[in-house]
Amino acid sequence: MSGQDHVRSFAERRLSPLEAREYLETPISDSERDEVLALVRWFMRRYPTPLDRLAYVRRAYARWQRTLGIARSQ
Amino acid sequence: MRAGEFDEAAFFGAIHQSGARALLIGRRALVLLGLPVLTAAYDFWVHIDDIAVFNTAAAQCDLLPSVLPETARQRGRYVLENDEHVDVLVARAVTTVDGVRVAFDEVWAARRPVSLAAGVDVQLPGIDDLILTKRFADRPRDVEDIRLLRILQSEPKA
Repeated sequence: MSGQDHVRSFAERRLSPLEAREYLETPISDSERDEVLALVRWFMRRYPTPLDRLAYVRRAYARWQRTLGIARSQ
Repeated sequence: MRAGEFDEAAFFGAIHQSGARALLIGRRALVLLGLPVLTAAYDFWVHIDDIAVFNTAAAQCDLLPSVLPETARQRGRYVLENDEHVDVLVARAVTTVDGVRVAFDEVWAARRPVSLAAGVDVQLPGIDDLILTKRFADRPRDVEDIRLLRILQSEPKA
């Protein structure tokens, strides 16, 4: 299994009930909330329409894939 | 087909025009709500009686189903593909990992449309229901997304 496959299988694994509960029951801190909401405000301001936002994600994903390709070739 | 070549407005427009009861779930639903998360696939939950209609709409964008509708009904899931990848859930109800039964008809009744363009709406579950769909599998990214949705939900405008 390649390193990328390892990462994928780790990301796609199903959490145990205990892992999921611990993650979900950890209180959301003010700083986490502020950080996420700041990101949302930036995203909505920078890409004001739903189509803009979908297009941004397509570009971002394509960019990420290209970066992975570069990493694999090194 | 490169990233920029898939016409998302045409894709969602075809689904809208078809009248298929199709809910956009997964990370692209989060994106429409304003959360900048990364994803490759489109995820839909489609009414089990609307598979053929949904497939006909998707075929306008050259997306082909992995199995026949009857097989999809039996399996509860299938895929539409070309260079794009659309995961389709077709169960009447799904139970979350912690035992909550989530019925398509109830989620559909509480859906919230998002307007993509004139005459093109995308149907999303309400945030509470979207959170429940994230508990169908409980992968790491699902629980991360639930935290993001809860934060978004805490905002009055969400």
